[in-house]
Amino acid sequence: MSHHSSPAMKLLAAPFLLMLAGLVVWPLANVLIDSFSKGGAWSLGNYAEILTSAYYGQSFVNSLLISFSTTAIGMIFGFLIAVSLRYRKGGTRRVAMALANIGANLAGVPLAMALVFLLGLNGTLTIVLKASGLIGSFNVYSLTGLIIAYCYFQIALAVLLIIPVLDGIETELEEAASLIGVGTTRFWLRVGLPVVGRQMIAIATLLLANAMGTYATTLALTGTSINVVTIRISELVSGDVFSDPNLANAIAIALLLVLVVPIVISQLLLKGDKR
Amino acid sequence: MTVTRHPAMTATLWLAAILMLLPVLATFLNSIATGWTGGILPNGLSLDAYQTILLDGRFQSALLRSTVVAGLALFLACLLIVPAVITAHLYWPTLDTWMARLVILPYAVPTIILMVGYLRVFSAPPLQFSGQPIVLVLTYVPLCFPMFYINVKNSLQALDTTELLEAGRLLGISDARLLRRVILPSIFPGIALAVVLNFAGLMSEFVYARMLVGGQFETLQMYMFAQRELSGRLSSVIVTVYFLITLLITFAAFRLVWRTETKS
Repeated sequence: MSHHSSPAMKLLAAPFLLMLAGLVVWPLANVLIDSFSKGGAWSLGNYAEILTSAYYGQSFVNSLLISFSTTAIGMIFGFLIAVSLRYRKGGTRRVAMALANIGANLAGVPLAMALVFLLGLNGTLTIVLKASGLIGSFNVYSLTGLIIAYCYFQIALAVLLIIPVLDGIETELEEAASLIGVGTTRFWLRVGLPVVGRQMIAIATLLLANAMGTYATTLALTGTSINVVTIRISELVSGDVFSDPNLANAIAIALLLVLVVPIVISQLLLKGDKR
Repeated sequence: MTVTRHPAMTATLWLAAILMLLPVLATFLNSIATGWTGGILPNGLSLDAYQTILLDGRFQSALLRSTVVAGLALFLACLLIVPAVITAHLYWPTLDTWMARLVILPYAVPTIILMVGYLRVFSAPPLQFSGQPIVLVLTYVPLCFPMFYINVKNSLQALDTTELLEAGRLLGISDARLLRRVILPSIFPGIALAVVLNFAGLMSEFVYARMLVGGQFETLQMYMFAQRELSGRLSSVIVTVYFLITLLITFAAFRLVWRTETKS
């Protein structure tokens, strides 16, 4: 039976495509073009500055350090939580999904503020831990503080993304394994994880990108004191003494490359998986 | 038969729940404590600070601004995105494939990168709106795309659209009419879920609000950012109220899912 492919119906997508062109492609094209402009002339100077400047180099190193560590923590805990939820009834799962969803939405200013109430100088947990003699002092406005903050939304996002992937593993497979005496831990290490390996890598690249692009949480917790890429970009365009919008464009493109390359590779791997 | 449930799994879930809730609990405790002199426990408890914030005109205006901007953006997003997703699903498989790829766009292209581009786009014609609230309405539309795609697509897949259209054609009903009368009402729960989830997401948007519009149009996030250095009590009330708003929205979303699940 033929599917009357009507060109008139395709027109319904025109406003969407126009929106995509105007609000995604056009701004990105602007970023790319302006990144090659320095002092009013075409040049690779902005990129040269990023590559040679220890300051901007360090911002990428710091961002990658925070992102890789929180991605690893997010994936490990996200996986453990998702596996644990697999054996739960719908109600628990729903509550957990809702919590994870809230966790992902609370990222940013409210998360940073809440962590200060918990771990700041007069934070509830800081006071408890100090009174019990477990810690001498703790500075939440630090790299460690940032990593703890990122972990909150990284774990939440990992749970949200991993749960549907694990649903793809049939329970029959697991039951068969348990019948022949393969324990849960061995099942997941030997069978479960390899089956969803590529999907897990794809999720990890998304988590990595999510952390690399984080701005609100960082600014609200540590201001501009920790040198990460997103803070550098915002400083360069905010129009004060450090302002250099074209350098910001080049850093944005560099960040885009760091994010897009692993994402595209992992998505291609996924596609190979489906065939 | 069922696979055994490890005690370690129960422990994992409890630990995760406690760790996730700790900052929220600490914030709530701060918001009702009247004073905190050294010890682990507060001097007294009171809800006074809640009255101060809820009656604060600046808080109310910020909440209103965020709601209006998110509402307008979602209205635009419905008009622009939903027809495109339906068309792609029914008539344009190539576009559909590309849409599925675009779902990861917010991760691949974080808002901080697009923001740099928007600074240029909105400073010259035809979109010369630099610093105006309409910038937020427009820039929020692409952010809504993934949720709309995922949920509308799910609803469409649950229907047998090809068969519906074929049956309609046999009866002499035009595709357009069938779309309006049958398909659109059937996927309405999916659209509603996308709207609710996106609403929570847009209320938490900060990068565009700060960098493209700034303090002269204070959204809820900008208000929180400005008040974060305020007396611990008042700012903890703001965070608690914001948390309750998010909780409410999420609850609404999950009720929607639950209703459609039990219907089908």
